[in-house]
Amino acid sequence: MSPQILMDGLINGAMIGLGAIGITLTYSILRFSNFAHGEFIAWGAYIALALSGFLGVLAPSLTAPLGPFSFGWSLPIAAFGAIALTAALALLADALLFGPLRARGGASIILVMASFGAALVLRNLLEFIFTSRPAYYADGLQIALRFLGVRATPDALLCLLVAAIVVVATHLFITHTAVGRAMRAVSENPELAGIVGVDSRKTIRLVWILGAGLACLAGIMAGLVVQIRPTMGVDLLLPLFAAAILGGIGSTPGALLGGLIIGLAESTTVRLIGAEWRAAVAFAVLVVILLVRPRGLFGRS
Amino acid sequence: MSAETVAPSGLETHGLVAGYERDLPIVRGVNLSVGAGEFVVLLGPNGAGKSTLVKAIAGLVPIHHGSVRFNGEDITAAPAHEKIRRGLAFVPQTENVFATLTIEDNLRLAADLLPKRVRARRIAELYAMFPDLAAQPRRPAGQLSGGQRQMLAAARALIVQPSLLILDEPSAGLSPKMATEVFSRLKAINASGVTIILVEQNVKSALAVASRAIILVEGEARHEGPAATLADDPIIAELYLGAARART
Amino acid sequence: MILDLVGYAAFFLTMALTYAIVCLGLNIQWGQTGLFNVGVAGFVAIGAYVSALLTTPEAAGRIGGFDLPIAIGWLGGAVIAGAASFLVGALTIRLRADYLAIATFGVAVVIRLCALNLEHVTGGPFGIGFIPRPFASYAGNPTLFSLLNLALLALVVLALYLALERLLRSPWGRVLRAIREDEEAALALGKSSVRFRLQAFAIGGALMGLAGAAQAHFIGFIAPDDYLPTLTFQVWAMLIVGGPGNNRGAIVGAIVVWGVWAISASAIAAVFPAGEQARAASLQVVLIGLALCAILLWRPRGLLGETRIVSRHLAGLSQSRLALNHETRND
Repeated sequence: MSPQILMDGLINGAMIGLGAIGITLTYSILRFSNFAHGEFIAWGAYIALALSGFLGVLAPSLTAPLGPFSFGWSLPIAAFGAIALTAALALLADALLFGPLRARGGASIILVMASFGAALVLRNLLEFIFTSRPAYYADGLQIALRFLGVRATPDALLCLLVAAIVVVATHLFITHTAVGRAMRAVSENPELAGIVGVDSRKTIRLVWILGAGLACLAGIMAGLVVQIRPTMGVDLLLPLFAAAILGGIGSTPGALLGGLIIGLAESTTVRLIGAEWRAAVAFAVLVVILLVRPRGLFGRS
Repeated sequence: MSAETVAPSGLETHGLVAGYERDLPIVRGVNLSVGAGEFVVLLGPNGAGKSTLVKAIAGLVPIHHGSVRFNGEDITAAPAHEKIRRGLAFVPQTENVFATLTIEDNLRLAADLLPKRVRARRIAELYAMFPDLAAQPRRPAGQLSGGQRQMLAAARALIVQPSLLILDEPSAGLSPKMATEVFSRLKAINASGVTIILVEQNVKSALAVASRAIILVEGEARHEGPAATLADDPIIAELYLGAARART
Repeated sequence: MILDLVGYAAFFLTMALTYAIVCLGLNIQWGQTGLFNVGVAGFVAIGAYVSALLTTPEAAGRIGGFDLPIAIGWLGGAVIAGAASFLVGALTIRLRADYLAIATFGVAVVIRLCALNLEHVTGGPFGIGFIPRPFASYAGNPTLFSLLNLALLALVVLALYLALERLLRSPWGRVLRAIREDEEAALALGKSSVRFRLQAFAIGGALMGLAGAAQAHFIGFIAPDDYLPTLTFQVWAMLIVGGPGNNRGAIVGAIVVWGVWAISASAIAAVFPAGEQARAASLQVVLIGLALCAILLWRPRGLLGETRIVSRHLAGLSQSRLALNHETRND
């Protein structure tokens, strides 16, 4: 495996892993596969784009590139706002759609179908507002750095670093805080969690916020390293689901590991076979996992 | 015991009708009254509704009619997670610990309800009470034996120092030796001031530690009396040998 | 003027009916068998491409030139799509519903990827054109042409509807219903539920392929971008709006949702300036999504859905409550 494939795989995998953590948390606690999760990624990227652009208009100095990176302060500042707004979007979707359906006590299939509707609405609203043309956070090309026989742009390396930090922080949050314990409890047994004093509804709201926040970050990273377009979310759905299932639903480290594996598999395929078959890699991984070990690497049976 | 003389930390139900389906109530109008410090055992044949009754009180089964009062307050409509905050702890029969969480995390979860400064102390106190659990706190609860799980479930319930502890067949599936230990522990807990309501199939052992027994048949409270005298009452034999006869 | 309107209405209805065929197929898979197929677009694509390849004249750079009659194309499309469904079903039928959804979603993604990349077979991103239209000799008279196509499709839908209703009342259909209602009882009877469900899955897939073929010949050209996940979600919207579990619901749902699509298209054309038409078209899909959510929230059984079947899926006890039920059975 050439070092370049490894680097490309790491960067790609980190983004998939970040998104997959959001999927695995919402899946294990909300108990349905949310086909609209990709749209939180896309909305996150676009909201950051809009806020960053707005800030750039207000104070043009904010767009001046920071150091070796392609973006100025407008993007990190916008990122905070984007995370908050994406979380708000998720809470809105839960309040209007998923919450009422859940309260009715229907099968999880209904929530999945509802997520189809939500995905259609969210994705096409983006297309209407921003058109389907690809967008970028900054103009101008980035010069890749060369070290240890690999090439990577400063942007990509920063994303890798941020992803690593966020993943570790999320894992510590889940394992060492009261909220994290509550989430794990609700994920295993919502009834028992209630008896022990955990407010399931509050926990569910927090899960949406956490999942959407992670999705937003993943979207900003993808937008930075690749490009921003309305279909970026749905294009990531399959790798995200595959990574979450590969890692074992409910496992944060598993989701990250799954993401890295798929990222590496994709970059290997791109090198050896060609970029046009990249989307099939996640599917191949998914099929293998579902046939061989459906509960994934770290999942409970 | 009449309603007016029930002590403050008492539990009462009035005409409680509960069940999973609206048109199929399992609990059919139960009037219950348990005073502070009592150790009451709920007995009755299979299908009598004992489990459903305590689950309804705990907030896990929908209540259709009637009310539940605890410490003088109406808690009928309170959601499950509210009950423990008011001092009403429930230990279900099965799935009463979080198997994927460690012993430590199971206890920490319960302790999260307490003010921060007392959490560590309370957990240490419970480890002292249950040394078996203290031996390996990082063990996932799913790996514990049946008896150890019951202990963990009870420890978890006790962390918040509830005034009322309700347990659903804690001795089920345990060896006689373990079951005896469970009952003597419960007696000690009751002696320390915690009111206990126990659902049990193990009639003899339960009556040996309880102060009062209530017998449920087909969703109704049919009979009650002091545990000591009920042990020799022929109605017990009748109930457990022929539920059909109890219908008269 | 009136002839134009008639022609337009015929065109609209014909497209709606092709979607109705997809819905009928999905209804067999979901409504009758409970298989959650989120890869509908893939099977429609297979039918379209197979039929196109069988019936188009020679084209540079890709296989073809079979120039077979349209009917053979449609039949071939249905058969190959049915076979593909059988294969996919065999691999995925034991998965639980959520995983089946993701796996079939992935299947459609891969099918579309193949259509995009295997240029020698499928013509790549530009797709296949010059697909022969039925009644091509009447093309000179647009109104008559549209009406003839409509008549053909209406006949096909009617025939399928009658055949399906017959099938569901047959012994085969009764076993399927038994499996859907109570798998344990059906197994106890000695029938292999997997075999029956696979057959149902294949028949559903064949119908989707047939619809894809019909669409391909009606429009005249196909490309990979015609078979995106959006198509799958739209068909689901149609089935849910019409009422899952019900063949009439499938047909009505397709017509209603397609109607929403068509009306919103003209509304958009009227409201938005010419340069903005492309982006305004996304609003049509937003409407479909909203319709799906609305139906799930306010009338889950759809317009014509059977309450009995739907009550099992929709209003039934949630998983954890079912577990609780089992737990307390011995009190």
